[in-house]
Amino acid sequence: MFNFYLLSSVLLISLIFFFLGNNRAKNLVKLNQKNLHSLTHYYGVYSLLVSLLPALGIFFIFTICDDLIFAELIKKYIPKEVVASKDYNFTIVLAQINNSVEGLIFGTPPKWVTNAAEIWISWIHKSQIITVIICISTALISGFLGYKKISGNFRSRNAVEKIVMSILAVSSVIAILTTIAIIFSVVFESIRFFALIPYDEFLFGTVWNPQFEGAERAGSGQEGLSQYGAIPLFAGTFLISIIALCVSVPVGLFSAIYLSEYATSKERVFFKPLLEILAGIPTVVYGFFAALTVAPFLRSSGSIFGLDVASESALAAGLVMGIMIIPFISSLSDDVINAVPQSLRDAGYGLGSTKNETVIKIVLPAALPGIVASIILAVSRAVGETMIVVMAAGLAANLTANPLEAVTTVTSQIVTILVGDQEFESAKTLSAFALALTLIVITLAMNFYALHVVKKYREQYE
Amino acid sequence: MNNRNDLKSLELTVGDVFSKNARLKARNVNVFYGNNKAIDNVTIDIGSKEVISFIGPSGCGKSTFLRCFNRMNDTIDSCVVQGEITIDDENIYDKKIDVVPLRARIGMVFQKPNPFPKSIYDNVAYGPRIHGLSENKEHLDVIVEESLKRAGLWQEVSDRLQSPGTGLSGGQQQRLCIARAIAVSPEVILMDEPCSALDPIATAKIEDLIHELGNDYSIVIVTHSMQQAARVSKRTAYFHLGKLIEVGKTKEIFTRPQHHQTEAYISGKIG
Repeated sequence: MFNFYLLSSVLLISLIFFFLGNNRAKNLVKLNQKNLHSLTHYYGVYSLLVSLLPALGIFFIFTICDDLIFAELIKKYIPKEVVASKDYNFTIVLAQINNSVEGLIFGTPPKWVTNAAEIWISWIHKSQIITVIICISTALISGFLGYKKISGNFRSRNAVEKIVMSILAVSSVIAILTTIAIIFSVVFESIRFFALIPYDEFLFGTVWNPQFEGAERAGSGQEGLSQYGAIPLFAGTFLISIIALCVSVPVGLFSAIYLSEYATSKERVFFKPLLEILAGIPTVVYGFFAALTVAPFLRSSGSIFGLDVASESALAAGLVMGIMIIPFISSLSDDVINAVPQSLRDAGYGLGSTKNETVIKIVLPAALPGIVASIILAVSRAVGETMIVVMAAGLAANLTANPLEAVTTVTSQIVTILVGDQEFESAKTLSAFALALTLIVITLAMNFYALHVVKKYREQYE
Repeated sequence: MNNRNDLKSLELTVGDVFSKNARLKARNVNVFYGNNKAIDNVTIDIGSKEVISFIGPSGCGKSTFLRCFNRMNDTIDSCVVQGEITIDDENIYDKKIDVVPLRARIGMVFQKPNPFPKSIYDNVAYGPRIHGLSENKEHLDVIVEESLKRAGLWQEVSDRLQSPGTGLSGGQQQRLCIARAIAVSPEVILMDEPCSALDPIATAKIEDLIHELGNDYSIVIVTHSMQQAARVSKRTAYFHLGKLIEVGKTKEIFTRPQHHQTEAYISGKIG
């Protein structure tokens, strides 16, 4: 609530500066009978941005930093005997104090915890007061400076342009930094995992059988109990992805061809949104569709032919995942097929090709790079898909190429490892990060390859 | 002068629309785009081995009319063609007619060079392949070479038949498109402003080519350039607002136009 009030008042101040700036510009016009460089509202917007942005920046820095600073300062208030004890862990102590600050008290915490929490609360109050003072005064001062700058010669239109450009640039930097941060967080945990388990066992091992056994695996005489060979997981992932592609590539591509080449504009307007609804269905819904409808159906129809279909089979998960990624392929392919110039089709018709010949021999080859790119994007989507496989593919890490058996995938293993209680130092928990890292590397490589394919063939027709 | 033709001109075309050895005959053709009438009651003959040009201001319907002859207007949903067009006395709008072989008999060259994003060889071989015109690979090679020679492109590309057709210059691309049209040995070639995207030198080459091809094919060329019409064609038809205003020998159209609108157009008053 406090933050909300503070932000509203900063916003209010900058709005006031908007009107002040606007009026000052208007008055300049009236008094001097002189033309300003920019339209008057640009002067208003300039004052607004100049007062708002620095205050916002300071606000965010303060909010992010104060917890970090407090955590450092609170160390002084933890009794020496607690720090000295054998199972001391600063993260846990900090969590205890934070719970106490927020009023979540379990049992009777030690006296020093309540004391530390009181101190923490007093710091929060101080920091709030400091934040208010600094934010408001920044807004006022920088707004006033911006306001003072307004004169006939000041080029506020260009200045606003620059500010807007930097806002846009900062937004894209935030997106990039987040990606980098995600990758790094996974990389650091993976390094810890590979300190316990050798690379070659993880990358080339064929048995996946993780057990909780703590960090003392190495040298504890327990070798052989847990095995971290990721190959069955990746094999399962690719088996399911291939089944999914066998469904989605023909269906998606054919419907794209139908929509872009054969459908009348009325049909197109009707069918395309319907197809895209598929993309809007939450994957968890696909998951229970796979587990409760498709899998039993496959099992019963398999038994008619004397086939033994596992109740959780790669086939069921793959089929449903294929349906899920149809819209990715159909929508993107539809776009690239539409981008093939009409003149090429005309040339084909003019030579006496049928519609089908024109599509197969002229339009599809011209659109091929885009279609390949859409398929590769669909593959990375299938590889990263989690919910359907968790619900429908099973958890048994079988190394098999038989789609009727249960397999497991990288993503569903990550989920099962990280759901529920876990000890953070164990190889089992850390293996989730190593799996995630490998998966990220694979999907990134595929996306890069897709972009490369598109780039290489883009200028074919033109 | 204005009074002489004003009333009649709404219905009648000036000049001789008929031809002694007519190959294509259009009778009372109307074309509609939705509710818009694009071509209004046009009757004209196109002779065997004749080069005829269609001229007229932008939007006068000359391209639309051209595309009636190989039924390219079929690809536009809202377009409706009424009337009768015959090739060798066979109505091409008859329900029994298969449009695919028809388009092989009546080739087309478009305004913008549109080679397929394939090799030069495959561009020319496309038509013969889909129509099964060649008995074997050697025969196909012969057809490709022959067509490229007739289009005057063989010397320039004979050493790089496998490089992409899109890599050629604009004028070469357009001659490639002509070679592609010739390869299926059509009887008539329709050309829709074939030089409008080309520079003067490439234009001159294409015009020479049209001149030569006129010995073997009927050629209908739509053009914006009156000089071009004068250079390449024996007969000229002038269209205005969807109506065929005047047809006649090219020389006479440009020197002694009968209709005041034709005169206004060629003297640069409309355009």
